[in-house]
Amino acid sequence: MNYSGLLVVFPPERTEAGIAALNALDGVEVHHSDPATGRIVAVQECERIQDEVDGLKRIKKLPGIILAELVYHHFEEDPMHVTEIPADLEDPPGGVPGYLKERAS
Amino acid sequence: MELTRRDFLKSSIAATTAATVGMEIGATAQAAAREVEKDWQWDKGVCRFCGVGCGIMIATKQGRIVATKGDPDAPVNRGLNCIKGYFNGKILYGKDRLTQPLMRMKDGKFDKKGEFQRVSWERAFDEMETQLRKTYNELGPTGVGIFGSGQYTIQEGYASAKLMKAGFRSNNIDPNARHCMASAVAGFIQTFGIDEPAGNYDDIEHTDAAVVWGANMAEMHPILWARVSDRRLSNDNVKVVNLSTFRNRCSDIADIEIIFKPNTDLAIQNYIAREIVKRDAVDHDFVKAHCVFATGPYDIGYGMRPTDKYAFDAEKDTQAKQLKVTLDEWEAVAQRRKPGEVVEQKNAKTAGKHWLITFEEFKRGVEPYTLDFVAELSKGDPDESLEDYKKKLQQLADIYIDPKRKVVSYWTMGFNQHQRGTWVNEQCYMNHLLLGKQCQPGNGAFSLTGQPSACGTAREVGTFSHRLPADMVVFNPKHRAFAEKTWNLPTGTVNPKVGSHITKIMRDLEDGKIKWAWVQVNNPFQATANANHWIRAARELDNFIIVSDAYPGISAKVADLILPTAMIFEKWGGYGNAERRSQFWREQVPPPGQAKADIWQALEFSKRFKLKDVWGEQDVPGLKADGFADGKLPDVSKGAKSMGYSGDETLYEVLFATPTNRKVAWPDPVSKGHDNHVADTLKDGWFPEKALFEEYAIFGRGHAHDLADFDVYYRDSVRGLKWPVIKDEKSGEWKETQWRFNAEYDSYVKEGDFQFYGPALKKLPSGDLDKITDKNKTSLAGKAKIFFRPYAAPVEQPDKEYDMWLATGRVLEHWHSGTMTRRVPELHRAVPAALLYMHPKDAKDRSLKRNDLAAIESRRGKILARVETQGRNGMPRGTIFVPWFDEGVFINKLTLDATCPISKQEDFKKCAVKVIKA
Repeated sequence: MNYSGLLVVFPPERTEAGIAALNALDGVEVHHSDPATGRIVAVQECERIQDEVDGLKRIKKLPGIILAELVYHHFEEDPMHVTEIPADLEDPPGGVPGYLKERAS
Repeated sequence: MELTRRDFLKSSIAATTAATVGMEIGATAQAAAREVEKDWQWDKGVCRFCGVGCGIMIATKQGRIVATKGDPDAPVNRGLNCIKGYFNGKILYGKDRLTQPLMRMKDGKFDKKGEFQRVSWERAFDEMETQLRKTYNELGPTGVGIFGSGQYTIQEGYASAKLMKAGFRSNNIDPNARHCMASAVAGFIQTFGIDEPAGNYDDIEHTDAAVVWGANMAEMHPILWARVSDRRLSNDNVKVVNLSTFRNRCSDIADIEIIFKPNTDLAIQNYIAREIVKRDAVDHDFVKAHCVFATGPYDIGYGMRPTDKYAFDAEKDTQAKQLKVTLDEWEAVAQRRKPGEVVEQKNAKTAGKHWLITFEEFKRGVEPYTLDFVAELSKGDPDESLEDYKKKLQQLADIYIDPKRKVVSYWTMGFNQHQRGTWVNEQCYMNHLLLGKQCQPGNGAFSLTGQPSACGTAREVGTFSHRLPADMVVFNPKHRAFAEKTWNLPTGTVNPKVGSHITKIMRDLEDGKIKWAWVQVNNPFQATANANHWIRAARELDNFIIVSDAYPGISAKVADLILPTAMIFEKWGGYGNAERRSQFWREQVPPPGQAKADIWQALEFSKRFKLKDVWGEQDVPGLKADGFADGKLPDVSKGAKSMGYSGDETLYEVLFATPTNRKVAWPDPVSKGHDNHVADTLKDGWFPEKALFEEYAIFGRGHAHDLADFDVYYRDSVRGLKWPVIKDEKSGEWKETQWRFNAEYDSYVKEGDFQFYGPALKKLPSGDLDKITDKNKTSLAGKAKIFFRPYAAPVEQPDKEYDMWLATGRVLEHWHSGTMTRRVPELHRAVPAALLYMHPKDAKDRSLKRNDLAAIESRRGKILARVETQGRNGMPRGTIFVPWFDEGVFINKLTLDATCPISKQEDFKKCAVKVIKA
């Protein structure tokens, strides 16, 4: 699971509508807001992590929105982390990424 | 349990996000954040990607990066991150990270036709040394080269440049930044006599109008664009204009969108200048006190080779225009000649020369650029009416000229990657200077950069074939003397002959003039135009190519030796962004396997050479300079001996681990417990990144490039500092410079309200629009130049055979050639392959529809790509766009290696292609 913290800004008078629109999106939860400035902090949760990118694009398309950007990225539990040298680099005569065995053309 | 953990994590992320952007939250939420992060170590860093230079915070736990966030205290981004910046931690952990040197071998020996095999560092350096000696003996210093980078840390760039210029006495080091902002540099030096912008990003919050020329800021500089959007949307008076050759995402908030034909930005700028003159809107007091008028030759070629010896048959017609050009109706007007006249390109080698003209001559120069002339020439969307287009040009001029309106102009590759890139940069200053709207909060022409240290390293350190640190140049005897003195080297060591620029290093490989080349922190075989030539040269000719990289890209694939390299947070370093802000970080995690920092590679390799290997007389073909025998670098052994050197001292001892530098000890309290694998592996007890920075800083102090002491940048309270950074001797405080050349902010201004104190090219002869008429030189100390530059037609234009324009560039999710970003699965999946963006009607005319496979062909090559007729880039009929991040859609096989003849920067934005169904 992948989590991102987002700052979203609406015109102050549209803060409430903005919160509702965000909460209506799958995987998005509004946690904090400031009606005086229209600033909203939301957390986006995506099972498949590429959805983070699409998810942000979806938020940026909300009507009346001024700004939506990522602030915080949590990937402590991301299984793609490689802590050791990948196995295919450990094995001679491998030791060479397959890509480099192709001819350059 | 799972649910609890999940909810807990989410409230903690929300709390950290809120804290990062400065929102008040409750005590419970704060406690949640603290609990999740309790065994993390946070430290400040800077983003690895573009030239904006956003601050990020990095969390590590047990030698791994576990989280990143926008730095709330960073004035650039105020806690925000764009999509690429967000993945700074992840780029370290791609599966195919290179972790051991790999060399092409056969039967236990190096063999250019062999397969890659793992070798030790020792074996790798052995071969590099053998090959360098072979080439050095055959071709001298001119036979070796380094492909450098705008992504070098400041210290890496300094070490590599010093190794080449002071060690191997060769100026063949040139960065990929040549492809990125050389035209901006030339524009700055020619106009102001000193490099880099006067203003800073805070101009955005001060201005009333942002005019974007040839820059897709919305996708390429998203955080700055967020600031522009915020300014625009929170203030009805503020206007945004987007000028481009095709619709990009900046148009989403733009008040005016102007789609123009390639190269006609030259004409549009002159239309604005003509309007300024006609409406008598010139700020005469400002211009009189601070500016002069200038122009230069226009028969300057296109930076191509003067011979067709190496050209493919199909490209010979384009190449021939390097020598002679037949004027079309528009260019004829611009040069005050007749259409069809053939103009020999006599000033190809002296393209940068220029002379003073009068204001009357300047007015005569801009006179032909009437609204009718420019609109008809420049309108880029065949489906837009001429009348609508004219109205927009008028509105653009109104915005610039309105005396109540502050204006900033932004540009990137549209101006810089341009066959007249230096000119169009100069023209932007022309209009700002004419109006007196420069170097003030909210007013100014501001060149953005694409790489994280294009400014801080490539430009300020001077990792170019003509440069030394702090705007000094190798062909200036005083600058060489300063460098030799600072480096404690005998007179005559530094080579006065400008080396090969990055495209020429490629050409030199093809014609056998360079046979040993080291690629550092870039991917030039994917990034250089007309790539088929260079790939063939690397693989099939007699040369030795070393590629230092973290991931394998095309350059690694064509290399003979690959060196595994540490990435950003696996080493100590500093970057300088586009607003002159230098920012530094500590090593956060160890590099994987045997990967090592670039600086270690340069230092370790330098141990292999002794002074006696390089200090003898050297042949340098074409060298001609005062005090030097033609074609020779002198024997400097006598001078060196008198300075106390012996021939057996290594370049490592003489250039890097000098007695002074060895006094800068590692460990150092500034580390706060962080490691330094470079110092630990060298085991000499010194701190190379700090010692070399302090040595480098000597060049800029007192020369308007002052940097603070190393430790200052590591203070918790500091988020980078904009040079010149001056220490107040009384208070001991370091003061950065917000707006240069403006007395209110810049202590280098000695008199008056403004002073353009840059020292370069400030004595000029005088003449008219076509030639020098008085060779006597006039001093223009303290003044900026307002250049008149004419419209020039692109060297290659669509014709019957190749009937469309091709432009290349980036997309939001990927950065440069994608060697890092394509390793982040979510970024890769977001945009897996480069698409061919084209107008639906152009597609239909070629029996193509969305997602069809099409062949794109130019005079130089042919590739396949999928068609996209919708989406982020709206193409006018007749123009296609293909991004260059994807090696599977190798667009630079098609592009033309023409350059701006002054800056030598390639033009990736215009060449002619045809598209057919595959």
